Amino acid sequence: MSLLDALPAPRLGRGSYPNVVLVSLSAVMLAAIWGLDAVSMAPNRIVQGTGAGVMEALGWPGALLASLLVLALGALAFRPNPTNYSAALGVVVLILALMPFGLMVAGHFLIDPALPQARLGIGAGYWVVLFVLLLCLIELRLRLALTRLWPMLILAGVGLLWWLCAWLWLGDLALVQEYRARDQQLIRAVGQHVVLVSVAVSISVVLGTLLALLMRRYARLQKGAFAILNFLQTIPSLALFGLLLAPLAWLSANVPVLAKLGVSGIGNTPALIALVAYSLLPMVRNTYIALEEVSADTLEAASAMGMRASQRFWQVRLPLALPVLLEGVRITTVQAIGLTAVAALIGAGGLGTFIFQGLGQAAMDMVLLGALPILILALLVDAALGALAEALRPGGVQ
Amino acid sequence: MIELSQVSKRFGDETAVDAISLKVPNGKFCALVGTSGCGKSTTLRMINRLIERSSGDIILDGQAIEAYDPVKLRRRIGYVIQSTGLFPHWTVARNIGLVPRLLKWSAEDVQARVEELMGLLGLPIEEFAHKYPHQLSGGQAQRVGVARALAADPDILLMDEPFGALDPITRVKLQDELAGLQARLHKTVVFVTHDMDEALKLADHLVVMRDGQIVQQGTPLALLQRPKDPFVESLLGGLERGLKQAALSRVKDHMSSLGPTLPSQYRIAADCSLRQALSVMLRDHTDRLTVVDQHDVPIGELSLRRVVKEAQLEKGATRDA
Repeated sequence: MSLLDALPAPRLGRGSYPNVVLVSLSAVMLAAIWGLDAVSMAPNRIVQGTGAGVMEALGWPGALLASLLVLALGALAFRPNPTNYSAALGVVVLILALMPFGLMVAGHFLIDPALPQARLGIGAGYWVVLFVLLLCLIELRLRLALTRLWPMLILAGVGLLWWLCAWLWLGDLALVQEYRARDQQLIRAVGQHVVLVSVAVSISVVLGTLLALLMRRYARLQKGAFAILNFLQTIPSLALFGLLLAPLAWLSANVPVLAKLGVSGIGNTPALIALVAYSLLPMVRNTYIALEEVSADTLEAASAMGMRASQRFWQVRLPLALPVLLEGVRITTVQAIGLTAVAALIGAGGLGTFIFQGLGQAAMDMVLLGALPILILALLVDAALGALAEALRPGGVQ
Repeated sequence: MIELSQVSKRFGDETAVDAISLKVPNGKFCALVGTSGCGKSTTLRMINRLIERSSGDIILDGQAIEAYDPVKLRRRIGYVIQSTGLFPHWTVARNIGLVPRLLKWSAEDVQARVEELMGLLGLPIEEFAHKYPHQLSGGQAQRVGVARALAADPDILLMDEPFGALDPITRVKLQDELAGLQARLHKTVVFVTHDMDEALKLADHLVVMRDGQIVQQGTPLALLQRPKDPFVESLLGGLERGLKQAALSRVKDHMSSLGPTLPSQYRIAADCSLRQALSVMLRDHTDRLTVVDQHDVPIGELSLRRVVKEAQLEKGATRDA
């Protein structure tokens, strides 16, 4: 399956349909390269940067190279076959790998060495091309029938290269300057973020599974519990953090044991409670559905063969439910990674700190410095748990 | 020996099975036939206590079934269903070895038994042992289902429309194989189907059910010759009843010895049914066939007159009995 199947394709030559998706994506990239700002340049951290087009940023050889590569991708997509798709994949990877070098060239052209505060921002054109290239990668993965692992490996390789370039030669880049100014802080924030998410998700996995099991046993519990969980989900996250502030502060003031345990109106405790509250619905819903939708015939066969109830649960129901159950863990975790950013507002730390400080200081690159790791964390978790669920399907497919 | 007496099952106000009585002696093949919703599957599932009956007695080997722990009871009874109910996350070998493992056989014994059964059901071990159910065709999956049911060598086998979802060719093939297996293993089988031809072909004892009640039971021949009412008659094929009866008799049991006249050029194998012999006569426009053995050597002959007369004789015989 691919996006292409939904579109009518014109017939060209002998049985060869152009891949409309890749051709249009190439056109979008070409338009972005020539129509949008490639980079922006600012004399210091606060001032709004001035945009620069591709000719200013890369000079005519760079602009020509970029355009030719994108055109090549579009041309390969006109005659789709496995060889051309592999070549297209090569082109996509090449463009991804060349992009940091483009930034270096732009820095060389545009940054005045006399201004130590001057910095290079990544422009809209650059972001659009990056985003569209990821779409191309997804399309090519489907077309070449590659497993999830391949794009992950490619992206890991490209990411490493970007990291290396940023580390060694991209000192002009605003993002890099923001990072250099507070690298220890960022690493600590990533750690806090990961710990908060892990603890919250672990608690909701345990609680959610228990709740789902109870709901299967006591049918009456099911309606009530889902109603409460659905209601919790509708409270805006900021409001929930606020609502927890007063009662927790009171508890911590009046129950010394809790205060000793670190319970207070702000910080980790309300953050964890809110995260768990939000995580329970997807967790319980998926666990419940996963356990319920195991085929009745299979379960009856298990009984008819003489399995005891416990054997039937552990050997048949649970293993068959596991892929859907893990899907719940995946959704919950990705959601928690995003929500934890908001928890920074009540002093729980994490990457949200950077986003909100950046917003406060009107320093967009600092916002980006907080948002990018959140994005990467979410993608990593998504890919890892997705691959695990895929691996647990019987015989690879079902 | 399975014995049901006055067994009923009510779901709320609905009576699914209404006071049925039935005996299946050891080693016999009993088929429950009827239209959908007549209570035949419910009857079957009451025997291994997947459904608990509302009243009446079910006696297994002289003991009421409540005397058995349901789990242990089920491990002694093979069970095959239409959708196979194979465990999709287990390989073929693991599926087949389930009940022996539940009975705590040693790993080597389980392995040996799995291999034996795969051989018995024509599933080459190298090809199938490590496949998963979704990689099998319908016929292969149902063979695995039968092998799993036979794994702990149960005396009793319950089969709920096992071949209902298969294409006609595979279905006939598996019916033939089941008949062959039964001839060797002599299990006590209760077989549910709505396909009368299947029932006539396999059963020693035929039970026709409607609305939760037994309308008529007896040997296939007895039912064919004297259907009790129009319902049983229509189930048995109406006007084609004569042909179905002919299908129950073998050519070799009804042929005459080779006479002095020139043998017919048209031949039929001794193992074929009289129905097939009639079909060959119609096809080849002849009233005389030469009967040959498996090496194509003539061993007798069969005439149309004789086929018709045999049918009359049998009719007389059952009347006397």
